[in-house]
Amino acid sequence: MIDVNKKLGNFALSGINLEIPEGEYFVLLGRSGSGKTQLLELIAGLYAPDSGEIRIAGKDVTRTRIQDRNIGLMFQDFAVFPNMTVSGNISFPLRCRKYSHADISRMVAEAAEKLNIDHLLDRLTNNLSSGELQRVALARTLITSPRLLLLDEPMASVDASLKDDIRRIFRQLNREGLTILHVTHDYREAISLAARVGVLHNGRIIQEGKPGEVFRRPENEFIARYAGIRNFFRVKLYAEDGSWNAVTGNKMVISIPPDEYPVEGLLAIRSEEVKILNILSAGNSQKNMFRAVVREIYPSETGMEIILDAGEMIHADITMNEFTELNIKELSEVWITFSSEAPIVFSGKELI
Amino acid sequence: MIKNSPFNWILLILSSLVLLFILAPLTGMFLHTEGSKLLETVSDKDVQHSIWLTLWVSFTATFFFALGAVPLAWVLARKKFPLKGLVQGIIDLPVVLPHTAAGIAVLGFISRDGFLGKVADSVGLTFINRPAGIALAMAFVSLPFLINSARDGFAAVPERLEKAALTLGASQSRVFFSISLPLAWRNITSGFVLMFARGMSEFGAVVIIAYHPMIAPVMIYDRFTSFGLKYARPASVVFIIIALAVFIILRLIPAGRNHLNSRPHAEND
Repeated sequence: MIDVNKKLGNFALSGINLEIPEGEYFVLLGRSGSGKTQLLELIAGLYAPDSGEIRIAGKDVTRTRIQDRNIGLMFQDFAVFPNMTVSGNISFPLRCRKYSHADISRMVAEAAEKLNIDHLLDRLTNNLSSGELQRVALARTLITSPRLLLLDEPMASVDASLKDDIRRIFRQLNREGLTILHVTHDYREAISLAARVGVLHNGRIIQEGKPGEVFRRPENEFIARYAGIRNFFRVKLYAEDGSWNAVTGNKMVISIPPDEYPVEGLLAIRSEEVKILNILSAGNSQKNMFRAVVREIYPSETGMEIILDAGEMIHADITMNEFTELNIKELSEVWITFSSEAPIVFSGKELI
Repeated sequence: MIKNSPFNWILLILSSLVLLFILAPLTGMFLHTEGSKLLETVSDKDVQHSIWLTLWVSFTATFFFALGAVPLAWVLARKKFPLKGLVQGIIDLPVVLPHTAAGIAVLGFISRDGFLGKVADSVGLTFINRPAGIALAMAFVSLPFLINSARDGFAAVPERLEKAALTLGASQSRVFFSISLPLAWRNITSGFVLMFARGMSEFGAVVIIAYHPMIAPVMIYDRFTSFGLKYARPASVVFIIIALAVFIILRLIPAGRNHLNSRPHAEND
């Protein structure tokens, strides 16, 4: 997409530049209302942009009819047609293209088998599970072998237990050479699937890159929050003996990487970077080492999430093993520490 | 809900009064009609003819106007255009007009001096005192019922389904016939039944266009003014029974599954 603009009611996508190389898995992050769905609908051809160009494989398709773009779009709620059976849904694109009966039944059978829904073909769609509906929608979208697959929040409407399956299918499709543009509000999907990610905010793409770069070095607070960072502090910044420090509202003094900083900013620390040490095991001579009291403990996907009071409330993510070794409970006194490379400082104009 | 509260008693009494108001005159009419008179009326050729005329003319009018009204309803449900409010107002206009006035308006349009009348006359057609004229009068006053019901039906079809069909390669017309129309079908048939029933019971507009051939409402009026209440009553009872029967049959036909309400839909962001 080259400099695409589109005004939709009181909302606008502005100056969208997005290039997805063939065969890439690109995840676009944005919260609801950021224009994700509209962007996909623009690419699919449901709307025409006010200005700008959309090219596919070098060809300008900005004014090409939807039917001739050969783009598959899977809607968030799958948009499976309730007045047709599963096979009626899957064969719909083929019937639109006037395939022969024999071809249709062969292709539908193949597609259904690939996605493990061959036993559902004669069923109506109104009592299928969300996972089954998604497979129907995917089979229907893929049956015409589109060269670009657009996925709108594909994980949002399926049960958690099915997400691994779905991810496996998407990865497999991508490995087979299908270019995928996947929009979501969930950074974990981006990490697990994307070769590259972009962040869409207020109708603009504000950062783009490899997931590692974007999530480790977010360019602003918004992206940092997107990347799942929960430790944010407003800080005053100052240099002392050649090294830089940040001091929070509650007088926690944090050592930060040397750089040029203004006097004020926002400091973020990934909760994985925060280490917890047993109170007996270390002294307090190091930088970025603080005494803290455990306030809350929650199980998390990767282990345990600990909320600690070290003057400021700090989130730490630790593994189950670490948790058992530390043997901590609420109100335990511990040390917390993180390297001076861990803090990310946002300052001035980057603050949204 | 709290039972036996004064509020519930008031609700019950008021509701019963309204229902009674509808049922009492009808029941009274049925009770005052002797079986022998009823049989006599049923076997009366004039009565048979007029009821048959009423049914087929109203059905034909509804059918042919549906061909234009249903697409119009889709346009109203889906498209934005200037003066849409005005168009919607125009469609509702026949509902608020006095029906005799509506009849006069239609008459002016289809008489030999009127626009449609002139066109029809040139190919040897006349509307006055003809079933075609009756059909136009019926349609004029009953069209809003079909259009509005079908429009609500189309509006209830999630736009995402239509968009999905487009991205899957369907043409606009295929989307309309394979997605929008089947999913709005229930509302369309119920609008069809309403329009048919409304057209069938129309008197004011029809009587201006055609006293003869007599549709049932005109025949009932004719018997009342010529012979009095006693003679008008059996004809009314027969027509009401027929109308009810047709109404019930037509209501039962679209009793199939309602696709749209059978499954909750997630909202798009």
